[in-house]
Amino acid sequence: MPPKSFQAASPKLAVRGVGKRYRLNGGKTIDAVHDVSFDVMEGEICALLGPSGCGKSTVLRMVAGLEDPSSGAMFLDNAQIDGPHKSRGMVFQRYTSFDWMTVQKNVEYGMKINGVSKADRGAQADHFIQMIQLSKFKNAYPCQLSGGMQQRVAIARTLANGPSILLMDEPFGALDAETKWQMQELMISIVETSKVTVLIVTHDIEEAIFLADRIIFMSRHPGTVRENMVTEFKDGRRFSSHEEMIEAKGFHEIEKKIMHMMRDEMRNDREEALQEC
Amino acid sequence: MGAGQRVVEREELAQAPNTKPRRQRWFEYQKPIPVVWSLLLGISVWVLFFGMWELAAARGWIDTLFMPPPHQVLATLYTMIAERGFLSDIGISIYRILLSFAMACAIAIPLGVLMGSFRTVDAFFNPFVSAWRYLPAPAFIPLLLMWFGVGEGSKLALLFIGVIFFLITLIMDHTRAVRAELIETAMTLGANRWQILSTIVLPAVAPKILVSMRQMLAVSWTYLVIAEIVAATTGIGAVMMRGQRFLKVDEIMAGILVIGMVGLFFDFLFRLAYRVLFPFVANGQR
Ligand SMILES: Nc1ncnc2c1ncn2[C@@H]1O[C@H](COP(=O)(O)OP(=O)(O)OP(=O)(O)O)[C@@H](O)[C@H]1O
Ligand SMILES: [Mg+2]
Repeated sequence: MPPKSFQAASPKLAVRGVGKRYRLNGGKTIDAVHDVSFDVMEGEICALLGPSGCGKSTVLRMVAGLEDPSSGAMFLDNAQIDGPHKSRGMVFQRYTSFDWMTVQKNVEYGMKINGVSKADRGAQADHFIQMIQLSKFKNAYPCQLSGGMQQRVAIARTLANGPSILLMDEPFGALDAETKWQMQELMISIVETSKVTVLIVTHDIEEAIFLADRIIFMSRHPGTVRENMVTEFKDGRRFSSHEEMIEAKGFHEIEKKIMHMMRDEMRNDREEALQEC
Repeated sequence: MGAGQRVVEREELAQAPNTKPRRQRWFEYQKPIPVVWSLLLGISVWVLFFGMWELAAARGWIDTLFMPPPHQVLATLYTMIAERGFLSDIGISIYRILLSFAMACAIAIPLGVLMGSFRTVDAFFNPFVSAWRYLPAPAFIPLLLMWFGVGEGSKLALLFIGVIFFLITLIMDHTRAVRAELIETAMTLGANRWQILSTIVLPAVAPKILVSMRQMLAVSWTYLVIAEIVAATTGIGAVMMRGQRFLKVDEIMAGILVIGMVGLFFDFLFRLAYRVLFPFVANGQR
């Protein structure tokens, strides 16, 4: 967790009153997200948590510049976000390995298109491939790797490009429980060494608590921020293993609190459905 | 559970009678089979086919006037090549195929990729391309003959319009199927539109394009024979047509045989190119 002094400074990412309205076939519109505001501080890991359909992906995609907001604005380092940019690299849930490139070339891709010299690229890629523990596989093609390995490559590829903020949309959602743990613990060590700011979407409560310094809990219909929590029980540091987290004082309280909110969302949903009948 | 217990179990397992590798079976759903096997099977179907045919002819089950046995067809093929310059007919047919196909690809690949990538390009060309696909190419033969005469032009044109619209549509569909996440990933890494086209979209569809080309080249042969039968004095189709006029069934069959073999050869070349160009495609997806 970043030192307290950072929190007073201006935010790395500022999301201000952002809304997204989709036009459905037939002229009707729906507000996927409405009036979403939050800040992410420099060096922070921030998790967007909430029930399915609350607009987490929509918010993240707007921050990435892949989707334009219908209202409000977002700022990264005080510059307004307008379209995709290499300062906001994104990792998706589904595998995005470029099948026709080796692991090494995948990791170098961003640097290559941004005109980094071959030597610099190689060194930088080596560094990140080592960080994700795939040095032995750097000349392998993605089809020879497991799902978890491919996702590590995607993370290295994004980080090697030197983004200001790393955006992740349920990056470990498709992995089995054990690989997921490994990846989450690896994520912590990567963030500790590279000091990158992270905005990660998840619907996994434990994942959010384990990774995040700040949790933005979103509710549905329309998707908006229900609660902005700093995981204070971590007391200014991050866990390196799940056991450590489970044993920490305050973990169960925050888990219970979020579960209640989740349950509450489910109840609201049912009532809404009944009213519509 | 202690570690000792686990070791015992493993030893027992090693001694157990049924730990032999599982017997290789002939029929396994979608499982690959040894290369030698598939080669042998592929050859044996032809041996069987020609063997039955030869047998049927020898026993008099079929009328050899209309269906001469394989050895006679082969003998005829030999004399056609040795004494009547059949090789040059084969050559000119291959030349027609390759030239028209290259022209079709030169337009279909860029156009198909652009149509699959940009909805604006798609909206402009698709109504045109789709309509053409439903028009049977041979219907244009009378027109083509009037425009180009009986020279090379009319044949190349028929072959060209016979494949290009299908090729465009196939390539467009494959391009459209390039996953959005790949493109969006490249965007968030800082790639511009041109870089995405050249470094993501093209390499991602390239294997599919090659497969489409392989499929459409086979269709090309259909139009070649039509073109050469209708109006040509050279080429495999023309030779076959002459054979029909003089009731030389063995010459017609020799022509068919050659088309089959040349087709097989090109198919082989495409498969070889695929292996060499796209070593990264997982084996199961080839
Ligand atoms: N392109 C679109 N057109 C119309 N509606 C959309 C579109 N994209 C998203 N929505 C709607 O916006 C809402 C939020 O979707 P979003 O994918 O952001 O949710 P999410 O929180 O990421 O859900 P999940 O956890 O299931 O991924 C949903 O109700 C969805 O139906
Ligand atoms: Mg989502």
